[in-house]
Amino acid sequence: MKSILLAALATLTLSTALQAQETVRIATEGAYAPWNFLDDSGAPAGFEIELGNAICAQAELTCEWVINDWDSIIPNLLAGNYDLILAGMSITDERRQSIDFTQNYFPPDPSRFVATAGAGLDFANLSGVRIGVQGGTIQASYAEQNYSAGNTIVAFTTADQAMADLAAGNLDTILADGAYLEPVVTASGGSIEFVGEEIMIGGGVGGGIRKDDAEFKSTIDGAITALKADGTVDELIAKWFEGRGPYFAE
Amino acid sequence: MSDDIAFWLAYLTNGKHLTWYASFQFTIFAALAGGALAVVFGLLGATFRNSRFAPLRLVGGFYASIVRGVPDVLFFLFFPLAFEQGMEWLLATQVCSPGDIAAQTAAWPPCQKANWLLGTPEYLILASVSLGLVYGAFASTVIHGALRSVPRGQLEAAQAFGLSARQVLWRVHIRQMWIYALPGLSNVWMLIVKATSLLSLLQIADIVLWADRLGAPNFLPTVGLVHDDWRWRYYLVLFVFYILVTLLSEKAFAAITRRVGRGVLSEEHN
Repeated sequence: MKSILLAALATLTLSTALQAQETVRIATEGAYAPWNFLDDSGAPAGFEIELGNAICAQAELTCEWVINDWDSIIPNLLAGNYDLILAGMSITDERRQSIDFTQNYFPPDPSRFVATAGAGLDFANLSGVRIGVQGGTIQASYAEQNYSAGNTIVAFTTADQAMADLAAGNLDTILADGAYLEPVVTASGGSIEFVGEEIMIGGGVGGGIRKDDAEFKSTIDGAITALKADGTVDELIAKWFEGRGPYFAE
Repeated sequence: MSDDIAFWLAYLTNGKHLTWYASFQFTIFAALAGGALAVVFGLLGATFRNSRFAPLRLVGGFYASIVRGVPDVLFFLFFPLAFEQGMEWLLATQVCSPGDIAAQTAAWPPCQKANWLLGTPEYLILASVSLGLVYGAFASTVIHGALRSVPRGQLEAAQAFGLSARQVLWRVHIRQMWIYALPGLSNVWMLIVKATSLLSLLQIADIVLWADRLGAPNFLPTVGLVHDDWRWRYYLVLFVFYILVTLLSEKAFAAITRRVGRGVLSEEHN
């Protein structure tokens, strides 16, 4: 009885494992426009979706998208639920301890503060201020290290929730990726504005890969190199980030 | 005006919203499967506690007192993970060669072949089993009490008619127990229905997760309709859904109580 059960389980798992070898599963958050989001049809869309599809076409891989919450996106990569993370993830030494990164496909970009118009925050000596961040981001650890004395750091599951709380007046300011905030500030029609100075943290945005997947990493890196050389990456950045770049043109 | 109606109709039937509506099936499935399993585990737990075999009695008592005390969220996170890794460990002992294990650099699983990919269907089943286990502990105390409430005379009379112990248990004892258990079980059912809002913890794109996603403010026209924080509107829909489920459940339980009460000596009939 036990062996039958095990055999059944083995075939079940082996068949899924075989499928997993044929299809590369890519995880994204789906809540970080314009990097990645869910479009009106409910399908993943955005800069990283188009880039990921281009990488898969370039490397001749069949790819499948998986939506996974930000806070468990690295643990679930390590658990083998998917093979690659494309989710606006900055390359940092802290994350390098648990996963590998592909080369970056978006250059290092300043993090910035936003506040509702006319908030009048004094960044020279910030105190008694509620600072919103997305939990588990480079901005979250930066805020903890530099502003936690005298201020309250509020971590949110998604960046959108932080924006909602800023709009609702529960936060004084938000620290996040400049490239994420820029379109929000533009679209807010003046009600949300950049404040304070730009902060350079992180080594650009790259894809997250398990450390033991060296062969897979070189495949993806090769595809990104080719897409940078033929201008595809710059094209996609210009399309999704309001004419930014070109960054990688030879 | 009609343009407005057409616009909202189109907005509320776009793919994102349709996916949200479809995700109600996960909640309903988890509630029904969880409820059915809770009754099964409850019956098992209660019969264990009544068993003449001491170790079984211990297991039944342990289940009722320990599992009831564990917060459902914690159990919900713990059980699927423990089960997945336990299965992978079991599988690893069968399929992993020493070479495979040496080639594996990640901490878990022991080798890549023993990796078990969990998707929504697997998580949904594990979620239902978790619900069944947690609320089965509550159901077991309800059923345990109900079994004791069946008048002894009924069981003695059944024995006197020459029914075997098994026949007495199933045809008389458990058959009459329901009328005493139903008020308590309807309570447990409502708890299960409420706990289905935890499904998103297991990466299931359920009604709560979609309400969050759809209600989150959107500033970018490329993404879709630009709107403020609308989460409370979507949560309101969920309130209405859960209240409707409550009302329907009350009606259903009233009907079931009438059905199982037929021919049973109870206070109502005295």
